[in-house]
Amino acid sequence: MTEPSALAEQRALPFFQGRRALGFGTLLVAIVLVAGGSLYAGKAELDQTALGEQLFGLRAQRGAVAFFAGAALALAGTLTQGLFRNPLASPSILGTTSGAQLGGELMLVLLYELLDNRVPAGISHEMLTPLGCVAGAVLALLVVLALAPLRASAVSLLLTGFLLTALFASLSALLKSLTAETWQLARALTTLSLGSVSGAGRAQLALSSMLALGSLLPAWLYFRELDVLMSGEEEASALGVDVARIRVWCVIWTAVLVAGAVAVGASVPFVGLIVPHAMRKLFGESHSALMPAAFLGGGLFLLLCDVFCRVMPLRQEVPLSVITALVGVPVFLRILTDMERSA
Amino acid sequence: MTSPALIARDLRVQRGSRKVLEGFELTAALGGVYALTGPNGAGKSSALKALAGLLPCSGQLHVAGRELSRLTPRERAREIAYVPQQSLLSSGISVRDVVLQGRYAHDAVWPHKHKHTGPVDLAMQQTDVLALADRPWNQLSGGEQRRVLLARALATEAQIILLDEPTSSLDVAHALQLLLQLRVLAAQGRCIVAVLHDLDQVQRYADRSVLLQRGRTVAAGATRDVITSENIRRVYGVELMPNAALGYRLSDGAP
Repeated sequence: MTEPSALAEQRALPFFQGRRALGFGTLLVAIVLVAGGSLYAGKAELDQTALGEQLFGLRAQRGAVAFFAGAALALAGTLTQGLFRNPLASPSILGTTSGAQLGGELMLVLLYELLDNRVPAGISHEMLTPLGCVAGAVLALLVVLALAPLRASAVSLLLTGFLLTALFASLSALLKSLTAETWQLARALTTLSLGSVSGAGRAQLALSSMLALGSLLPAWLYFRELDVLMSGEEEASALGVDVARIRVWCVIWTAVLVAGAVAVGASVPFVGLIVPHAMRKLFGESHSALMPAAFLGGGLFLLLCDVFCRVMPLRQEVPLSVITALVGVPVFLRILTDMERSA
Repeated sequence: MTSPALIARDLRVQRGSRKVLEGFELTAALGGVYALTGPNGAGKSSALKALAGLLPCSGQLHVAGRELSRLTPRERAREIAYVPQQSLLSSGISVRDVVLQGRYAHDAVWPHKHKHTGPVDLAMQQTDVLALADRPWNQLSGGEQRRVLLARALATEAQIILLDEPTSSLDVAHALQLLLQLRVLAAQGRCIVAVLHDLDQVQRYADRSVLLQRGRTVAAGATRDVITSENIRRVYGVELMPNAALGYRLSDGAP
C-alpha cells in the first residue's frame, strides 16, 4: 500500500487540469472566431453600404447580447440541475422564466393600451419591456420563496415552480387572447414569446452583461455545496451543508440570470437544459469547472443560434427559440437515451 | 471507554401522526461500539438519523457536551459523521473527490484542496481504498462504495461515527472486514453507533446495544444483557439457539 504522505508529494493539484485547460482554451478560441465571424454574417454586406460602420456596431451589440443571454441561461441551468440533482432540470421549472415573460408582456400591454405608446419622460422606450421582465422575474421569485416550504424539500420547490409556471403561462395566453385584435401589440407579444435579440442595443447589452457577469462569481462560489449535493440533501446535510440556505440562494441567482436573459429577448428553451449537460461531458461534474464552462458554452451556443437566425435564407428572421428547439430536441433525446443506458 | 460523547434523552420522532420513535435513550462514549437493533419498522434508522441531527426530533441530544440543535451544520459535521445505508450519489466523480466531500465542514469559505490531502489519503488508507482513488464512483461494486463512504466519514475527523446498516448487501467476508474495521476505529478512540440487523454481528462486535420494537426501547445495556433468549422471543417471536448458527472468521488469505 502506498503511504499517504508519499502520494501527497507525488500529486499536484493544479486549479485547471490539462484537459480542462484545453477545453477552456478551445471554448475561448471558438467564441472569438464565432463572434468575429458573426460580424460579417447577415443579409447586408458591410462593404456595400454606407452604413457599414453602424451595421458593424449593431451586429457586435446583438452578438454580445446573445452571448450574455446564453451564458446566463446555461449558468442558471447548471444551478438548477445541481440543486435538483437532475440533468433534465431546466431553469424554467422554478417559474421565474414565465414570470419574467409575463412581466414583459404586461409592460407591453400597459405601454400600448394604457399609455398609447407614449413613454413617461426620463424612461427609455426600449428598456420598458426588459424592466417589465426583470420586475416579473423578481415578483415570481418572491412568490416562490413565499409559497414554497424551502425548509421542507426540493420537491416542494419543484412543485411550486411547476404550478407558478402553469399559472403565468395561462395569464400570458389570456393577455394574447385579449389583445389579438391589436395587430401591432399582438405581434410584439408573439416576438417576445418566440425570442429574438434583433434590435438589441447598448441598453440591453448593459443589462444582460451586468446581470450575467454580476451573477457569475456569486453563483460560482456555491460550487462546493453543489458538488456535495450530488450525494443528495440528507448526505449533504450530514456533511455540513446548510441545504435550505443553499437552496434559497440557488433560486435567487437562477431568477436573476433568467431575468437577464428574458429581459433582452432571449426567452428561449433548451439552452439551460442541454448546454450544462454537454459541458458536463467535456469538463466533468465538478461545479468549479462546470459553471464557468457552462457560462462560456451557453454564450457560444446562443451566439451561434443567433447567427443562424440571421443567415437563413428566409423573408424574415427565424425566431431564436425555433433554432434552439431544433438543436435542443435531438440533444435532449440523446440525454434521455444516455440516462436509460446508464440506469 | 471515556466520558460520554453522545447523550440522547427521551428522543421522540413523529412522522405525521405516527410516532416512529418514543423515549429513546443512549449514552455513548468514545472507544465503544454501540448497536441499534430490532425488527423491521422498529425505528432504528429514525433513531440514527435523529442522533445525526438529520431528522427533527424532540428530547435532549448532547454531543461532546454541547446541545446538538445549537451547532451549525458545519460544527455538527465535525462532531458526527453519518454513513447512509446507500448513497444517492450516482455520478462518475472520482473516489478521491467523494472522500474529499468529507472535508467540506473544515473549510470556512474557500476550499483548500492541498490542506485536505493528508486527511483524505489517511482516510482512504484506513479503509483500504487508496488504490481506487482515481476510479469513478459509479463503477465501484457495492462493497467498494461502502468502504468509500466510510472513508468519507473518517475524512470528517468526527469522533462519533453513525452507520446505517453498514453490512447489508455485503458478502460475508466484506461484512466481517467492515465490522473489524469498526472495532479498530473504536480502539483508536472513536465512538461507533451502528444499526445492525444481524444479531450474531451485534453479539460479536457491539459493546452495548439498544433493542427497539415499534419505536420503543425493549432493552438497552451491555450486549450480552440485551441479546437474550427472552428478549429475542419477545421482539422477534423466534427462539434463540445458542451456538446453532454458522460461525465465520476472516481467513489468513482473505481478500
